[in-house]
Amino acid sequence: MFSTILEQIINGVVTGSVYAIVAVGMTMIFGVLRAINFAHGEYYMLGTFGSWFAIDYLGLSYEASIVVGVLSTIVVAYVVGRLVMQRMVGAPAESGVLATLGIALVLQNTVILVFGGGYKFFSGGYIEPVSILGFSLAQQRIIILIVCLLVFVGLELMVTYSRMGKSMRAVSQNVECCEVVGIDVPQVVLRTFILGAALAALSGVLTAPVNVSVYGGMGELITFKTLPIIIMGGLGNVRGTFFAAMILGIAESLVATYVGLQFRDTVGFATLILMLMWRPHGLFSTQARF
Amino acid sequence: MSLTEVSQTQQSRDLRLPFGLVLLALALCAPLLASTYVVHALIIALIFMLPAHGLNLLVGYTGLLSLAQAAFFGIGAYASGLLAVTYGTPFYINVIASGLVAGALALPLGIPALRLRSTSFVMCTLGFVIIGQAIAKNWISLTRGDMGLSGIPKPHFALGPLSFTVSGTMAFYYLALAIGILATLAVWMIVRSPAGRNMIAIRENETLAESVGIPTWRYKLIVFMLSAAFAGVGGSLYAHYLTVVSPLTFQMYYSTTMLIIVLGGGAGTISGVVFGSLLFVGLTEALRVTPELRMIAYGLCLLVLVFWFKQGFAPVINRLWNFIGGAK
Repeated sequence: MFSTILEQIINGVVTGSVYAIVAVGMTMIFGVLRAINFAHGEYYMLGTFGSWFAIDYLGLSYEASIVVGVLSTIVVAYVVGRLVMQRMVGAPAESGVLATLGIALVLQNTVILVFGGGYKFFSGGYIEPVSILGFSLAQQRIIILIVCLLVFVGLELMVTYSRMGKSMRAVSQNVECCEVVGIDVPQVVLRTFILGAALAALSGVLTAPVNVSVYGGMGELITFKTLPIIIMGGLGNVRGTFFAAMILGIAESLVATYVGLQFRDTVGFATLILMLMWRPHGLFSTQARF
Repeated sequence: MSLTEVSQTQQSRDLRLPFGLVLLALALCAPLLASTYVVHALIIALIFMLPAHGLNLLVGYTGLLSLAQAAFFGIGAYASGLLAVTYGTPFYINVIASGLVAGALALPLGIPALRLRSTSFVMCTLGFVIIGQAIAKNWISLTRGDMGLSGIPKPHFALGPLSFTVSGTMAFYYLALAIGILATLAVWMIVRSPAGRNMIAIRENETLAESVGIPTWRYKLIVFMLSAAFAGVGGSLYAHYLTVVSPLTFQMYYSTTMLIIVLGGGAGTISGVVFGSLLFVGLTEALRVTPELRMIAYGLCLLVLVFWFKQGFAPVINRLWNFIGGAK
């Protein structure tokens, strides 16, 4: 009994890591743009598709396909960033919602139109189970955990010390002042956006061997999972996002085991709505900002 | 336009009334002129016009961006389907009951949701759609899960010895048209009333509206419920038209469609919603555009609307209307 719970919690932490890598990009984009990116899951999907394409059509190895998946997503993100995201600087919140909803529709359905709407089999990755302290865990899941930790440590360092991280923080605090002191706001927005999209793609590529199936609608599902996370974590809050993702991952895993698998996908929004009633400003922020 | 101007120039006559009558006549004759498939497309457009009208009250007049419309659309469809299948109640009761149920459910959902600020409010309304779908899928004893409710009867009217079943596409078109016209008139009356002006005041500046004594909280709640009621009626019509309801009625895609109708047609205008539903739903349905292509087009439309045509087609419609009215 106890070991089942522990196993579910470990599974939840892995799921949470996947969400965390996607959500952190979304929350950083919110930080600089004040807009929720409804299309963020689509970059997760694009990364997975790029990697699947590389393995199935180009015959590359899984390691190489990771690079292909992430790079192709970066290219798409660059185009979207230049054409759409940079225009959103200073626009009202509603237009951000609508524009990113539009991007999500375009990206998702273009992929479905090109590759068909059916499920595809993802063949790469390391799925052999390893036994650690009596639990068997697929290698790929361990990789996900390690990458997640590396990503968050790296981001924390970048946001605190690097020039780009500092300019991101500056833009998220006051756009006008940034313009006054000569920070290129659209450039910061573009870079943050590409970084976020690349992280989402990375998360997608790393998760694909565990999920096995690849399909056009998978991005939307991830968007709906990460939206509650970034709000729970306090919009723009990197550390809060990490903990919210872990909480949601564990909660989903426990609900799937003890309540029913079919309720797993509603945990996020149910928790979100309850949280909004109780602490409308997020779990980790002291005051409501948005 | 002053009176003297009219007498001076012969051509600038006010043709708005005859033009309106021609439009009405066209709407009435459509099933005779168009093929069955086009009439089907018009019916779908008319059905989607109802939740879009509701959304317009919320987005266009009160300034609240909501994605919950599909949830209330689904609630209406299920309420209607359950009533018809379980109790065999006639159509006109189902339609009214669906509107009431959706409107009533909007109260407990709206009270917490409307306390939130813009972004969180959007998230919360999105959550309603997702949770609605999960409930429709998993409350199997009530909703039969993924199998959905089937065998919802076509609308049937009985008055003493007279009875009439709306079975054909053509007959259903007139039913949908009648309900559509009633809904449009209802929205027009709401918007024209002092309440409508208060709603616009809330949209323009909520703090100022509050300070001049408009009970903004109560207004937002009532408009939220009203918009849900419109969506519920639309869902009921949808259920009776397709005769099946499935959990897929709760779809983000529907919320997006309704948003496109309102924003594309012109938020805060009634003619815009009518025009928008004909263009974005009716036309795509009539041209048999595949769902993927349609959604790509919707996505591009959203981007264009947000960045370049903030008012949608409203200015075009206005200019046309003024032109017909004789203004130069």
